[in-house]
Amino acid sequence: MKEISKLMLIVIALFPLWGLGGCETVIDTSIPTAPVQLAVDAWLTDQPGEQRISLTQTANYFNNARATPALNANVTVGDNTGRLVTFTDPDNDGVYTWKPALRDTARLGVIGRTYGLSIQYGGESYAAVAQMPRIPPIDSLTFTKEKISPVSTTEGYRAQFFANDLPGAVDFYYARFYRNGKLQNRPQDITLAYDGAFRGSANTDGLMFIRPIRRSINPDSLYALADSVRVELRTVTVEGYAFWELLRAQLQNAGLFATPPANVPSNIRNRNANGPTAVGFFLASPVRTRTATVSAPNLRGNGS
Amino acid sequence: MKIFFTFLFGLFLSLLAWSASAQDKHTVSGYVKDAADGEGLIGVSVYSRESGTGAVTNNYGFYSVTLPAGTYTFVISYVGYQKQNRAVTIADKDVRLDLELAEEGRDLQELVVSTRREDDNVKNIEMSVNKVDIKTIQRIPALLGEVDVIRSIQLLPGVSTVGEGATGFNVRGGSIDQNLVLLDEAPVYNSSHLFGFFSVFNPDAVKDVKLIKGGVPAMYGGRVSSILDVRLKEGNSKKTEINGGIGLIFSRLSYERPLFKGKGSFIIAGRRSYADVLAQPFLTGDLKGSQFYFYDLTAKANLRINEKNTVFLSGYFGRDVFGADFGFNWGNATTSLRWNKVFNNKLFLNTTAFYSNYDYSLDSDLRRKPDNTRDYFRTNAKIVNYSIKPDFTLFLNKNTVTFGGQTLLYDFQPGTATAASAGVVRTFGLRSKFALESSLYVGNEQQVSSRLQLQYGLRYSFYQYLGPGEAFTLGTTEQPGVVSRPVLSTRTYQAGETIQTYGNLEPRFALKYDLTAGSSFKLSYNRLAQYVHLLSNTTASTPLDVWTPSTNNVAPQLADQVAAGYFRNFGGATGNLFEASVEVYYKSLQNQIDYIDRANLVLNRFLEADLLTGKGRAYGAEFYLRKAKGQLNGWVSYTLARTERLVEGVNENRWYPTRFDKTHTLNAVVLFDPIRSKRWNFAATFVLTSGTPATFFNNRFTFQDIAVGTNPDDARNNYRIRPYHRLDLSATLQGRKRPGKRKEDNWVFSVYNVYARRNPFSEYFRANPANIAQTQAIRYSVFATIIPSVTYNFKF
Repeated sequence: MKEISKLMLIVIALFPLWGLGGCETVIDTSIPTAPVQLAVDAWLTDQPGEQRISLTQTANYFNNARATPALNANVTVGDNTGRLVTFTDPDNDGVYTWKPALRDTARLGVIGRTYGLSIQYGGESYAAVAQMPRIPPIDSLTFTKEKISPVSTTEGYRAQFFANDLPGAVDFYYARFYRNGKLQNRPQDITLAYDGAFRGSANTDGLMFIRPIRRSINPDSLYALADSVRVELRTVTVEGYAFWELLRAQLQNAGLFATPPANVPSNIRNRNANGPTAVGFFLASPVRTRTATVSAPNLRGNGS
Repeated sequence: MKIFFTFLFGLFLSLLAWSASAQDKHTVSGYVKDAADGEGLIGVSVYSRESGTGAVTNNYGFYSVTLPAGTYTFVISYVGYQKQNRAVTIADKDVRLDLELAEEGRDLQELVVSTRREDDNVKNIEMSVNKVDIKTIQRIPALLGEVDVIRSIQLLPGVSTVGEGATGFNVRGGSIDQNLVLLDEAPVYNSSHLFGFFSVFNPDAVKDVKLIKGGVPAMYGGRVSSILDVRLKEGNSKKTEINGGIGLIFSRLSYERPLFKGKGSFIIAGRRSYADVLAQPFLTGDLKGSQFYFYDLTAKANLRINEKNTVFLSGYFGRDVFGADFGFNWGNATTSLRWNKVFNNKLFLNTTAFYSNYDYSLDSDLRRKPDNTRDYFRTNAKIVNYSIKPDFTLFLNKNTVTFGGQTLLYDFQPGTATAASAGVVRTFGLRSKFALESSLYVGNEQQVSSRLQLQYGLRYSFYQYLGPGEAFTLGTTEQPGVVSRPVLSTRTYQAGETIQTYGNLEPRFALKYDLTAGSSFKLSYNRLAQYVHLLSNTTASTPLDVWTPSTNNVAPQLADQVAAGYFRNFGGATGNLFEASVEVYYKSLQNQIDYIDRANLVLNRFLEADLLTGKGRAYGAEFYLRKAKGQLNGWVSYTLARTERLVEGVNENRWYPTRFDKTHTLNAVVLFDPIRSKRWNFAATFVLTSGTPATFFNNRFTFQDIAVGTNPDDARNNYRIRPYHRLDLSATLQGRKRPGKRKEDNWVFSVYNVYARRNPFSEYFRANPANIAQTQAIRYSVFATIIPSVTYNFKF
């Protein structure tokens, strides 16, 4: 439904035609701090190289300083074939890492396997489970020369990536993109797709990703010639998708049709049901990428 | 239930028998109309001095008084109209007396709110009721000069809104779907244009607006918080009349004229926004053909077949369309056909049959561009109603008995969605849900003694959730409020099968006791049931919000309200210069809907599994003081109120204030009609309210370099945003009237938000869009500036 809210914003943007139009002001305010919790940022992938799990302590909402790391935790990840690895934090910054040995062929991150995360911290024992779902490839990444907006005369290159949803079950996607190597991370740059479309929009199982998703990887002023664009597609579990939907809702909350802020869910459980809870999420995703340069071979006519 | 029907039928028969055997008394009855245009006048007092009794005209301008033989002087009075005295001799038969009242001249013109008779405030048994004269509504300074019924009633005690620009209104702590908005007795499901900035009622076509907040008579039902009864003009039955206006948003035109040599009349009134028309030259290239407009068309015709039969046909059609490529399209349509029948001077029957439709669609390709034929998505949904509703009024000597019923068929179409990707088209739809709501009621208004008047009644509503359809059995979850309830089983029902039924007895009671000539005490109780629910989890309701029926998992909403009040008039020659009232109320609500976090309200087959139910309570005190006459008149109202909900799974199962809870609300409306000036008059409104509650995060953490807010207590509405206040002004200049010319015109100059305050609509915390690892607090204002406007109105 965030897409619909976005549409509302577009419509509200028409208000200036009547001399109306809402206005956002950044205000100074304070809020009491609630009890501090362990925060987990763990997103394993099927890619080679180092995997990282970051543990911090929650802080007051307006504390924009670097978070206090959660140190001296015991962090392990296992899978349903019995493999178990330990993540360590030799430099004491709260970022626990594990790197496969050079000749280790049994990667951490195999599609279809289920991974378990275990954290011993501050006398509490936390656990989380995540399955690594299937993923389709990104077939192509192309560009079309267009006006950057209907009201503008400036032109740019609109990117579009093509992928086909896998048929037979619901797949949950997360996509992000890089321009000239730099991750684009405005709130609207987080793309989520449900069977390649918006959740609740239609049954799109097995179809090519719908156009608004295909075109979700553009900056406002589109791309320039010779820009390098990289799209990264991940799949997550249904719980992971719920987490990302609420996280994105927090980021995009605005205006007349804002929703009451809701906590994002967490799949981190304290093994002691009466113990303090943790926040954050443990995800395991395969990653597919496609990189293309805005240049003649990648340009297309009408973008469809 | 059978017993109730038997009782009602028996009562009906005995009343008929009673009214037929007229003893040696006779009846004076008839219609009271406006001398200028033949409009029936509602609420006119027809009073005989000799007998000390009288009657008030009903919604169609009909009255009936029964008296022994003799000669009487009737005083017919209605504020804003010249008082009439008519001598009537009753001999051996009933007397038909149709009356016409002439408006008072400009010099005496007093603007009228909430009273009909001078002492109506005190003498009328109605409490918690506000009647707003359309002439007053037209005087209130309006946003962008657009006269607006809904925004005007928000200046009355007990009525509030989430914020300016929000759809709908909240009455005594009720949510917006708890108001039954009737346009000539047909329900209007979305009363807003442009998301809530303007209401759908065309002021040129509206005759009368009445808001019932409590003490709801038995004839009304179906919503638990209020009834907004909007009646359309019948059209001038004396001469052709054209009204129109040119404003910044709309231009308006209405045409009315007599039909069949004055036996009938009609009015047709239209409005259209024209920002798009003005902007057309600038809409070039890709924006060419962009659509952003809204319009409405209101029409009504009536025909007086004979003295005993009159028929009315009214219709409304309105639509909003916004978008360039992506866009919305939504609107209401209503049609009502009514038949007034006067049986025997004492028994009056109005039968209404109506159709109401509200639909919306969302389209990624509003303009159907040729290059979009392979890639698009669109969704649509609607709610359709069909109903028939007979309402009888029986005028007995000291009793006015009303009885009747209604049957209402709902067709909820939760929607279909079509998506095309690279030429492959898929459609996904939810099936219609059907329901039938039937009701029977009987009520009586009784003058028990010269001081004590009672109004009491009973309504029985019966609801059937009908097949064809699916019913789900839901389990429970350990985390209510966070996760959907599990669907344990699904059963399919065929057409004609009933999935679930609910029945509710809704008692109604009101009492008025005259303390002195100028003061009274009033008390009321009502229970109301509501079988339809508007699902909305955003701060302001959107046009895409879904109406859903009560089902086996969603129980009907119920409200019980008790209100008590002291009413007093004082000052001036007749003691009616000032009208004052104090009312206190307590309302208890059951089966209030809330949502789990991340509830999926659109096209969700298992929608019911994402809903939570709880209870609500609202209480408050309303103070109202109005100066009814003089060159300086107007009113001040102050409301002290609280409205809360208790829902399992929300706010750790503790009471929390609703999003529209406002502790203090002060409204002042000042109208200035200088005696020295024949042409100018002025108006001002001032509004001051407490900030509404909001939910804020306490803590944060970082996930993938994004700041994430957390609210470990899961507290809901735990903070208040800053207070709201606003001053609006307007001035009206009447055009010079040329002798012998019918044309009248005026200019209305208005200024909204005079001191350009950035009033908060909402405040929220979120990650800084420029750096999503950082957090910030935002205040959102809908109007951040002063908004002047000018409107030209004319009449031929």
